[in-house]
Amino acid sequence: MLEIKGLVGGYGSVQVLNGASLKVSRGQIVALLGGNGTGKSTLLKAVSGLIKPWSGSITFDGERIDGLRPDLIVRRGLVQVTQGKEVFPGMTVEENLKLGAFVVRDRAKTSRALDRVYTYFPILKERRQQLSGTLSGGQLQMVCIGRGLMSSPRMIMLDEPSSALAPQVVLDIFRTIHRITQDGMTVLMVEQNVRMALLLAEYGYVIKDGAIHIEGPAEQLIHDDNVRLSYLGGTVANREASLGTGA
Amino acid sequence: MDYFIDLVIIGLSIGMVYALVALGISLIFSGLDIVHFAHGEIYMIGAFIGLMLFRHLGIGYVPTLLLAVVLTGIVGVLIERLFYRRLTRAGGGYTVAGMGMIIAGFGMSIVLQNVAYLIWGPKALPFPVPYGRPVEIGNLALPMSYVWIIATALILMFVLNLLLKKTMIGLAIRAVAHNKDIAYLSGVNVPLMISLIFGIGCALGAAAGVLIGPINYVQVLMGISVLIKAFAAAVVGGFGSLPGAVLGGLLVGVIESLGAGYVSGTYKDTYAFVLLIFVLMVKPSGILGVEAKVKA
Repeated sequence: MLEIKGLVGGYGSVQVLNGASLKVSRGQIVALLGGNGTGKSTLLKAVSGLIKPWSGSITFDGERIDGLRPDLIVRRGLVQVTQGKEVFPGMTVEENLKLGAFVVRDRAKTSRALDRVYTYFPILKERRQQLSGTLSGGQLQMVCIGRGLMSSPRMIMLDEPSSALAPQVVLDIFRTIHRITQDGMTVLMVEQNVRMALLLAEYGYVIKDGAIHIEGPAEQLIHDDNVRLSYLGGTVANREASLGTGA
Repeated sequence: MDYFIDLVIIGLSIGMVYALVALGISLIFSGLDIVHFAHGEIYMIGAFIGLMLFRHLGIGYVPTLLLAVVLTGIVGVLIERLFYRRLTRAGGGYTVAGMGMIIAGFGMSIVLQNVAYLIWGPKALPFPVPYGRPVEIGNLALPMSYVWIIATALILMFVLNLLLKKTMIGLAIRAVAHNKDIAYLSGVNVPLMISLIFGIGCALGAAAGVLIGPINYVQVLMGISVLIKAFAAAVVGGFGSLPGAVLGGLLVGVIESLGAGYVSGTYKDTYAFVLLIFVLMVKPSGILGVEAKVKA
């Protein structure tokens, strides 16, 4: 469904991506792992169109989408949910969600999508008239994921859905992501919570210095010392620490 | 007492004009991060376009107003697309690179003044609108021009509020104003919304110009003093806040009018700044302004 080949890009004159390639098949949930500053978020931004790749290709559903404007990529059914739980604080929960359906012209379709989001996140229905700036961290993340689902995309990219959330909330979010994939959504998920991500995902990629370093089926990666090693930054001390506390 | 009420009504109507220009400035600032220093000239061009339509097409004042507002809005969209957007792109995305945009605004102001000078000449032109008899309320004779200004401005503000609060386009405009990346990822055509925001901002300025035309003359340099007052109004109300722009505009108008009536008309243009200095001393973010966010 999504195929990235030799992606090179960055910000201004700073190169971050160094020929990254990966593939996500229809209905699959794929984890993209890696430490800070390895290019995970940059890769997602290049796919969603927020930054223009310098070279390489991005193909979605058989068509090149690299260099397209972000709203046109949303129109094609590929949505990114950014890191940092960014909502529009001056808008109500429902306004935030409706904005996610901006590309949908059909009102009936929008209200169906809204109902579906409310079944995934019932708490948002209760709070739909509340200003989103007053929500808790977990609820903010729900609004962000919900907003991403509002255009009924065929694939969604989640950038660290578990970051800065309480463990119980993380569990809830992951459960919902699981439910969303069971309903047929294709997911590419960037995560720092490696263990959780690999439990949920079918396939995983580890990115390092802007290129894919390790890849494989999730159950295989979860037992791979190198995954934890590269994720933690690669020092011997880290490796021992991770082996000591790891699974 | 009648004198006082008279002054307040005059102040409110002039204040509405400031408020409309300040609304445009605030809308453009909150949406595009551009402090638009050529907005006084947009107001001036709006007034001239209105005058030309009124004189040559022989249409009524209301159609003139609407048409001038739309045409000036389009002029604004073209100015932003052709000139400003090159600078905002150079700033990386949409955020404006420091002084460049401010200087460009001043430059645009001079260019527009000279373009207007070439087209319409240096003379102050009358904008004779047959308003009819003044409205009499008790001992007061309220000129219709003031009634027009207040009513039209209120309608425009109401429509703007409706647009921003109740429509998908308004939702998208507010989203773009808050965070362009997230708006983009929600599927909003951000470049189009930026054009729209700038166009609406200019349309509001043009409305102010067409409204003031029949009271004052229409002339090339009419934008300068209004720009300064509107900036004072926007800052007094809280820069970037739309209700603040309206409140600031009305305050500046009323204080200016009362000052001219009771203290001295000679210093008419200074009262706005006395108010400005006072507000900045008491609440630097403006009356309805939010404290500047410090990014972590």
